[in-house]
Amino acid sequence: MKLQSKSEAETRDIGRRIGKRLKRGNVVCLYGDLGAGKTTMVKGIASALGISERDITSASYTIIAEYNAGVTFYHIDLYRLAPEQVPDLGLHEYLGSDGISVIEWAERAEGEVPDDSIRVRLNHKEEDLREIEIRGMEV
Amino acid sequence: MLILGIDTSCDDTSAAIVEDGCRIVSNVVSSQNEIHTKYGGIVPELASRRHIEMIWPVVKETMDKAGTNFKDISAIAVTHGPGLIGSLLVGVCFAKSISYSQKIPMVAVNHLEGHMISIFLENTPEFPFIGLVVSGGHTSIYLVEGFGQYTEIGRTRDDAAGEAYDKVAKLLGFGYPGGPIIDKLASEGNPEAIAFPRSTLKESHDFSFSGLKTSVLNYTKKHPDAKKEDIAASFQEAVVDVLVNRVIEVAEIKGVKEVVLSGGVAANSGLRERISQITSEKGMKAYLPSLHLCTDNAAMVAAVGFHLFNRGEVANYSLNPRAYLPLGSADGQP
Repeated sequence: MKLQSKSEAETRDIGRRIGKRLKRGNVVCLYGDLGAGKTTMVKGIASALGISERDITSASYTIIAEYNAGVTFYHIDLYRLAPEQVPDLGLHEYLGSDGISVIEWAERAEGEVPDDSIRVRLNHKEEDLREIEIRGMEV
Repeated sequence: MLILGIDTSCDDTSAAIVEDGCRIVSNVVSSQNEIHTKYGGIVPELASRRHIEMIWPVVKETMDKAGTNFKDISAIAVTHGPGLIGSLLVGVCFAKSISYSQKIPMVAVNHLEGHMISIFLENTPEFPFIGLVVSGGHTSIYLVEGFGQYTEIGRTRDDAAGEAYDKVAKLLGFGYPGGPIIDKLASEGNPEAIAFPRSTLKESHDFSFSGLKTSVLNYTKKHPDAKKEDIAASFQEAVVDVLVNRVIEVAEIKGVKEVVLSGGVAANSGLRERISQITSEKGMKAYLPSLHLCTDNAAMVAAVGFHLFNRGEVANYSLNPRAYLPLGSADGQP
């Protein structure tokens, strides 16, 4: 399904709608360029799980940030990694757990993400317009 | 009293010996920038492997330079967070083994506290002061009322300021780390050429740099032939405006006259110039560590270790590294 977002608030809201439907063990793959709104969407997803949006910051530096909110939430950001670096991270330990994982720049881990992952592509169309395509879930 | 400090929180392996928490006897930093430049940032697995190779030579060089051996050391201070977990683990395991084998007490240091009090290795600001820690991984502002007494007033909601520098450098086609590259480019451009947004969050002292990054991206898409010097200068102007205005605003609200900057971005020439100028206009005082103490180093870790050890806050061997480790209490009343 395809949705449109005209603001950060709308992107967060779509994130919340995705977050509400997530179950333990789910993996959400996010695709989109720098500035497309990936971290904003993670804030929305996390808030639906009871995590404060303020606590979700960019994970580009730490690569993997872990939050405990009843269910364990993994915010993974592969921005700094080349695809050949990803196998060293041991992603399967997170993706195969009963926690919920969201991966930014998921195209860099294509061989490692489960086939039944929810895939969300954020296309930065114009200055304030994003097209958001969701596969594997109806929201 | 001599403290051996060890820091492996990110891409630098560093060890230092500091006397009485304020005098650097020796300080060795082995940067991994040449490895990470290739990948446009820090690669955790490479970083931890390199820390393993470097830690013993770096500690040995520090001891040799200081002309000391382990029997002269009162305590080992090691960074246990925040940072890259694999990197932190190398320093923590190394410190534990030295502590155990040489029977030297160990103390666990928060890397952010290291930055916060790095100024005491060169200067003596008076408490209370406003401390801004601004680097690739952090942008946080604190009220500092004494050693170990920190109240977080605000922090970034998305990207750290240094991360925005790295990302903007990358989208302009430059390498890593972005800070020094943009800083140099900015000195040759017009800071008023482009009006990038200054994000100020209402009813909060938090920061946000993600929108600024996106706005630079939008601008470069629309104006592919724009002078990179002007983009760099205008971007830097926006970052400096936001940081300096927030520091001054918080200092005024808290009625504090002294401000201390630290972290890698505190080495930025535009930021240093502006904070010095504005604080002097307002009858305040800004303290800025030397450039080599702004970036990650173990001297600041040893300095914190001195105060922890004096307070009897010794760590035991169950110490584990923590990727996420906030500093101090949060301020509910900004």
